[in-house]
Amino acid sequence: MEIFEILVLVVSFVVLLTIGVPIAYSIGISAVITMLVSIYPVPAVTTIAQRMATGLESFTLLAIPFFILAGQLMNRGGIASRLIDFAKVMVGMLPGGLAFVNIVACMLFGAISGSAVAAASAIGGFMNSRMEKEGYDKSFSAAVNITSSTTGMIIPPSNILIVYSLASGGASIGALFLAGYLPGILVGLMLMVVAGVFAYRNKYPTSESASISEGFRKMLNALPSLFLLVVVIGGIVAGYFTATEASAIAVLYTFILALLYKEISFKDVPSILLDTVSTTSIVLLLIATSIGMSWVMSYENIPQAVSEALLSVSDNKIIVLLLINVILLIVGIFMDMTPAVLIFTPIFLPVVTELGVHPVHFGIIMVLNLSIGLCTPPVGSVLFVGCSVANVKIEKVIKPLIPLFIAMIVALILVTYIPEISLWLPAIFDL
Amino acid sequence: MKEKIDSLLGKTLTVIMGLMVLNVLLQVFARFLRIQVDFTEEVAGFLLIWVGLLGASYATGKGMHLAIDLLPRSKSIEAQKRFNVVINTIVLLFALSVMVIGGFRLVYITLSLNQLSPVLEIPKGYIYLVLPLSGFLIMYYSIVNMKNENPFGE
Repeated sequence: MEIFEILVLVVSFVVLLTIGVPIAYSIGISAVITMLVSIYPVPAVTTIAQRMATGLESFTLLAIPFFILAGQLMNRGGIASRLIDFAKVMVGMLPGGLAFVNIVACMLFGAISGSAVAAASAIGGFMNSRMEKEGYDKSFSAAVNITSSTTGMIIPPSNILIVYSLASGGASIGALFLAGYLPGILVGLMLMVVAGVFAYRNKYPTSESASISEGFRKMLNALPSLFLLVVVIGGIVAGYFTATEASAIAVLYTFILALLYKEISFKDVPSILLDTVSTTSIVLLLIATSIGMSWVMSYENIPQAVSEALLSVSDNKIIVLLLINVILLIVGIFMDMTPAVLIFTPIFLPVVTELGVHPVHFGIIMVLNLSIGLCTPPVGSVLFVGCSVANVKIEKVIKPLIPLFIAMIVALILVTYIPEISLWLPAIFDL
Repeated sequence: MKEKIDSLLGKTLTVIMGLMVLNVLLQVFARFLRIQVDFTEEVAGFLLIWVGLLGASYATGKGMHLAIDLLPRSKSIEAQKRFNVVINTIVLLFALSVMVIGGFRLVYITLSLNQLSPVLEIPKGYIYLVLPLSGFLIMYYSIVNMKNENPFGE
């Protein structure tokens, strides 16, 4: 019987999405329509309303607006330029140095701000013009910037891993954060390989190397920004505070830093807060309606149907993970990351845990996989932001993106089939 | 009219967001100083519902919610306007059915069951009033958006 409900759900969602209804509303409306198959209208809308409200009533989710706020403060607070200088000291001397600088800066900024979009716009804004000046191809620079921004989703702190922890029914946030480090760095390294080959072929210059004292000064400048990571991750992993408390500390820390750098003043606070609310509430409405959708699916027994179908194809772990990865890659192309995690975690997680995959490992697989979708049309938010700050058309970046996608997919395969890449660090810390 | 609502809503949201930060910082420092403060987690949850849903209506007014508008964009400006009316009618129906009708029923049920929040003992129905409130705002904004002469920009 579930086939009919699945059909109603998928068809209504796809139709709404195609005609241009905002994604969050499309999810909510198709959830209601699916429910009408088996419940009267008034109880149906009341239940969805209840799921939306109670779904948001969560102390864990509070970390999301706070990390977004910290990201906003960093954007305006002169932290991006210090991180770029730091990255330049580290990798600027390599051939095609600026491409490497872009990748490392995106990894650092994405990690600290927890947002790929923020990293793409902040780092891209600085780097694209510099790279163009040194003769780099504009669409290549944009493609490097776009793909490397997504590493921030996996390298902690990460909002999406918090959402996953919620959707998985309580996978430890500390363990997820630690698990993200090596896979995130792996993706960064893979991207560097591609960028390096491209730079070598096109004979891109190394940037002039700084003197040792200059380099030392730049590293010192970036230290306060990097120390934030120690406070936030260290505090969470040591169990000293929760992810939400850590995010509030991150807000306070970046605020004080930006004040000291004299990049913002108290006058700017209201506008920064309102910008944060706008960005946050877009994510929160997606979360609210996705939670409604996820509830409807479990009410209609859709996860069981999907899992039976999957397991009927094969009960081999390697094949099931491959299937799930392919499905998620397709999902990621059409769906934003947050709803995808909220809707598909309850469907796939029971299947893979039955086959012996650790929930923390699966979270990393899922986020890494869906990161790729952030860089593809038609709903790649990072792609759009990256192209707009670089001032290039989307069609132009597709070609340089392809080898970078392949690098990301190779990283995804490695992370999927070598659980130790994700689970080794948390195991060391007994998480 | 829209400017006034935007500005009032914007100010309210700014204040709520500020309170959210202060509230959690209070919790962190209270624990650091070993002072017993038991209401912060509950307040945080309530503020998040309010900022999330009221903010969602604000973002609807500003046309900020993510959408895939490839299909409507590829059409003539007249067709774009028709697409825009359909899209906003659908959003309006969602706000009316789920947020206003469903929301009011949720408020009514929780109030009549006398559900109180565990620490502060606030009737939860009052917290859920943000559902119909945001629902009305979204309905208003989608009516305003329907009249947009150039709905998909460029």
